[in-house]
Amino acid sequence: MIGWVGQKVLDAFYYVWALWGLVSQALLDLIRPGERGRREAFRVITRQILFTGLDALPVTSVIALMLGIIIITQAGTQLPQLGAGGLVGSIIVIAVIRELGPLVTAIIVVGRSGTAIATELGNMSVGREVVALQLMGIPAGRFIVMPRMVGMIVAMICLTLYFDVVAVLGGFLVAKATLTIPFDAFLEGVTRALSLSDITLTAVKPIFFGIAVAAVCCHHGLSVSSSYTEVPQQTTKAMINSLTLCLVLDLLITVPTYL
Amino acid sequence: MSGVIEISDVVVELNGEGFTAHLVLTVNPGEFVILLGPTRSGKSLILELCAGLVQPQRGKVRVLGEEWADLPDEARMKLRMRVGTVLQLPGLLSNMTLFNNVALPLRYHRSTLSDRDVDRVVMGHLEALGLAQLRDRFPAQLNPGEIRCAAIARAMVLDQELLLLDDPLGGLDAGMVQRLGEHIANRRQRGPVTVLATMRSYSAFLELADRVAVVRGGQIEAIGPRSVIAQHGGAEMSAYFG
Repeated sequence: MIGWVGQKVLDAFYYVWALWGLVSQALLDLIRPGERGRREAFRVITRQILFTGLDALPVTSVIALMLGIIIITQAGTQLPQLGAGGLVGSIIVIAVIRELGPLVTAIIVVGRSGTAIATELGNMSVGREVVALQLMGIPAGRFIVMPRMVGMIVAMICLTLYFDVVAVLGGFLVAKATLTIPFDAFLEGVTRALSLSDITLTAVKPIFFGIAVAAVCCHHGLSVSSSYTEVPQQTTKAMINSLTLCLVLDLLITVPTYL
Repeated sequence: MSGVIEISDVVVELNGEGFTAHLVLTVNPGEFVILLGPTRSGKSLILELCAGLVQPQRGKVRVLGEEWADLPDEARMKLRMRVGTVLQLPGLLSNMTLFNNVALPLRYHRSTLSDRDVDRVVMGHLEALGLAQLRDRFPAQLNPGEIRCAAIARAMVLDQELLLLDDPLGGLDAGMVQRLGEHIANRRQRGPVTVLATMRSYSAFLELADRVAVVRGGQIEAIGPRSVIAQHGGAEMSAYFG
């Protein structure tokens, strides 16, 4: 039993070490001087931003709107009954802007783009496309991992901000039918409750989530070795591990702010 | 003069496959050498050694005067720019058109080239290989012969000094074989290029080679001009020489 636990701990350590290797290499590739491959890397970054960010706007809008309606309706109808109507703004800031915005956006990105990255890289590995890149003198880290990581971070930040705006404003406008709070008072409550730390958290979390999702999904995609049947297996692992890592990071970022 | 490829007393053991190769080979500058032999004889392994994908357990492999194992990343990348390699699975990038696949090494390594120059160089290769009209197709829309020719064009687009071609005729029809032969011959006329290719059956392509090496059981059994080797191969090898 102790041996089994020890092995699992070691496996987890090696896994995190491998992820750190990818992240640090991507960082080096990003800041490394020289023109070689910059234009091609920029093209991949742009494609990743468009796919992860722009193409995800419809589904993000729908989810943000529905979540906004649910939370704002609940808070706006229940809290006044308890004599805590003034806390509606705070609840929305804490629930939507601090927590659900970054986290739900991360879940959407993992489901859409993370799985797509793992699948794409898995198929590339089996088709020996990654080896072909290596043989052309094009490092996989600089051409595959770094652009996807940068693209995902940028898209994740934009998508999270978009999610927050749609969830708060759109949610209120739609939920207005069931609420007694006027829009001005609602907006004032939210802006009064919104502090610099909330804005910082909502901007910082997507950076870490973007790095985590890109690293995990690239790692699993590139881990596929010899068979197409490995691709869905690695994609599933990538999805589960990305979500777990995002939750762990969320915990590590959020809890210290309350201490 | 030292060889472009020098494989000296190399031993490679492929764990799990029970295969051990003992290899000695020198390919001189500007030479066209074909490795000929049955499947699983070790031809691809020799190419992968030369491409730096496999490290020998013993012995040395020098390519263009360098040893892969000694090279730091930057020097390794520079050496790779001088070596054009096409493996048995050519590995065209599936999310790029044929044109963009062939243009990728140019765009990555020669980023100062204008789009017009990239277009000119790439289309020169595609036209010579009869692929010009397929430039906007993705690999999934091509047949195996077209994919292989595109991969060879990609391996030649930087005017590499050494070409390593694993089974370059796999999936090619007679017309493609002829165009490929002419394209390589033209490249050799334009400037020095050394070619090491593998083949597993007879083809008129053999006539292009300066030397033919017979590979069997992980060893190079004989090497020399085609006419000489054809007579020394024995009955079993006669089919390989037509």
